[in-house]
Amino acid sequence: MPVLALDTSAAVSVALIDAEGRTLATRVVHEERRHAEQLAPMIADVLAATGTDRTALTGIVVGTGPAPFTGLRVGLVSARALGLALDIPVHGVCGLDAIAAQAAIDLSLAAGTEVLVVTDARRREVYWARYRVAGAAPQSLRVELVAGPGVASAAQVAADGHADGAIVVGPGASLYPEQLPPVDGAPTDPDPVVLARLALARVALGEDLPTEPLYLRRPDVVAPAPRKHVVTPAARKRALA
Amino acid sequence: MSAPLVLGIETSCDETGVALVRGKDLLFDAVASSMDEHARFGGIIPEIASRAHLEAMVPTIRRALEGADVDLGQVDAIAVTAGPGLVGPLTIGAAAAKALSIGLGVPLYGVNHVIGHAAVDELVHGSFPDQVMALVVSGGHSSLLLVDDIVTGVTELGSTLDDAAGEAFDKVGRLLGLPYPGGPHIDRLAREGDPTAIRFPRGLTAAKDQAEHAYDFSFSGLKTAVARWVETRTDAGQEIPVADVAASFAAAVADVLTAKTIAACRRHGVSTLVIGGGFSANSQLRDLAAVRCAEAGIELRIPPIRFCTDNGAMIAALGSAALSRGVAPSRLDLPVDSSMPLIRVTV
Ligand SMILES: Nc1ncnc2c1ncn2[C@@H]1O[C@H](COP(=O)(O)OP(=O)(O)O)[C@@H](O)[C@H]1O
Ligand SMILES: [Mg+2]
Repeated sequence: MPVLALDTSAAVSVALIDAEGRTLATRVVHEERRHAEQLAPMIADVLAATGTDRTALTGIVVGTGPAPFTGLRVGLVSARALGLALDIPVHGVCGLDAIAAQAAIDLSLAAGTEVLVVTDARRREVYWARYRVAGAAPQSLRVELVAGPGVASAAQVAADGHADGAIVVGPGASLYPEQLPPVDGAPTDPDPVVLARLALARVALGEDLPTEPLYLRRPDVVAPAPRKHVVTPAARKRALA
Repeated sequence: MSAPLVLGIETSCDETGVALVRGKDLLFDAVASSMDEHARFGGIIPEIASRAHLEAMVPTIRRALEGADVDLGQVDAIAVTAGPGLVGPLTIGAAAAKALSIGLGVPLYGVNHVIGHAAVDELVHGSFPDQVMALVVSGGHSSLLLVDDIVTGVTELGSTLDDAAGEAFDKVGRLLGLPYPGGPHIDRLAREGDPTAIRFPRGLTAAKDQAEHAYDFSFSGLKTAVARWVETRTDAGQEIPVADVAASFAAAVADVLTAKTIAACRRHGVSTLVIGGGFSANSQLRDLAAVRCAEAGIELRIPPIRFCTDNGAMIAALGSAALSRGVAPSRLDLPVDSSMPLIRVTV
């Protein structure tokens, strides 16, 4: 009864877990571009390496961001299309939730502790969300969203008090340590295994987990794009000949 | 045994197209477009198109399956546009296609969008004869292709060195204060004007261009000439005869496209011409091509408009042709290529 989990928010990561949440296989490629080229072979690979027939999959879990748009969409459309092909449910989980839950485990945080997760949103901004550790550590994975998710400069997140009284984790913090001092030993990228476990736990509670992307920003519409490719390389070569 | 069933996905620009083709029979073609969301910006906004593709993908696949009355499980292969086109939109189609390929356990074919514009005509007018000439004209490309085999024998004879035909229409449309996209508006206005009123230049038709650019096009000089003409008139405080400008401009574009295409047919002894791409909706081009093909004894094949604008059927058609030729499928790490060369039919 394996579940396939994937996340394309920063690295491309794929995991196969069984119904009890045990990890069967994981693959991670740290490359901020070329998500579309990396992801599909990695999915095929975890299935092949574990001898899992694709038709044995019972669900797909996907990180819904927030994250750079192009990579994020690769994960979401792949998950949706795979779910359609296999006729199995697809569950979305916010990547920041997974980092918070992972931090609660890795740092053995007590119930009631608050955690601010910040990741790199580029353009000198961070994606952020604040959580409260709800269950008894270490295994419950229960984190409740207190504020966010949002996108803002690190200085603004700090000025708005989101870091006050919270442990700061995530790759966004190491980028802006002056504004958002991070703790040591905290996780950085969403772990697809944690995403999957969160999804299974939420589904068990009867929650609906849509796969809508957390863009958090409106599309850039500064200027219309040049038309799609106009001068073919062969024509350009002839022109320069 | 019936021919293999191919599902084609097209996302190179603003249309999400999904179609099912069995052999050379089109079962169903579903399209969703985000054009309405772009019109107010006067051009395609890639991020808006990409967001729309993500949301439209699964519903459009479902619509195509329902329309064709088949199950996904019956699909034998997936075809997808690998390029040319906008990277963000292309990436979404490719990712979806790869996931379907894995999920269904069927081969994947990444194919060339421009060649798809020609291939789709086989679904409409039947198999190509031994040789056809294909003129693919749209907002993004203007290319002349000699087709010995739609999968293994496509030769690019020429293409535009600057603007595509539709793009030139859109730019002149903006100049004349018409809404985006200006192409269809100019077409309409041109029908009321005098095509001989103004003699606009015909790009790359001079004797000196024939060695290097016999079959290449250039429309930016024409666009500039129109701009200058309008400007001079405006500065002199004179009225702009918009219909005459539109008609004279459209006549220049149709003249160059058809003259070069028919010269290429003669030169290569080809007696069938296929015109595809969204600009083939242009009535000045259609009319002149019909006249000149009849004079030259060339059979003219133009698919209905819905197969000339971007659609999934053209991609499924080319994928189906690739499958029938025993071409090796694409790998799962196939990259999309925004400027995919026309010598590459499949990836
Ligand atoms: N009747 C017409 N006359 C002139 N141009 C047209 C006409 N209909 C469509 N066009 C032009 O064709 C282009 C759209 O074709 P399409 O195949 O969708 O282009 P692409 O996908 O390359 O952007 C636009 O530039 C549009 O203005
Ligand atoms: Mg096109």
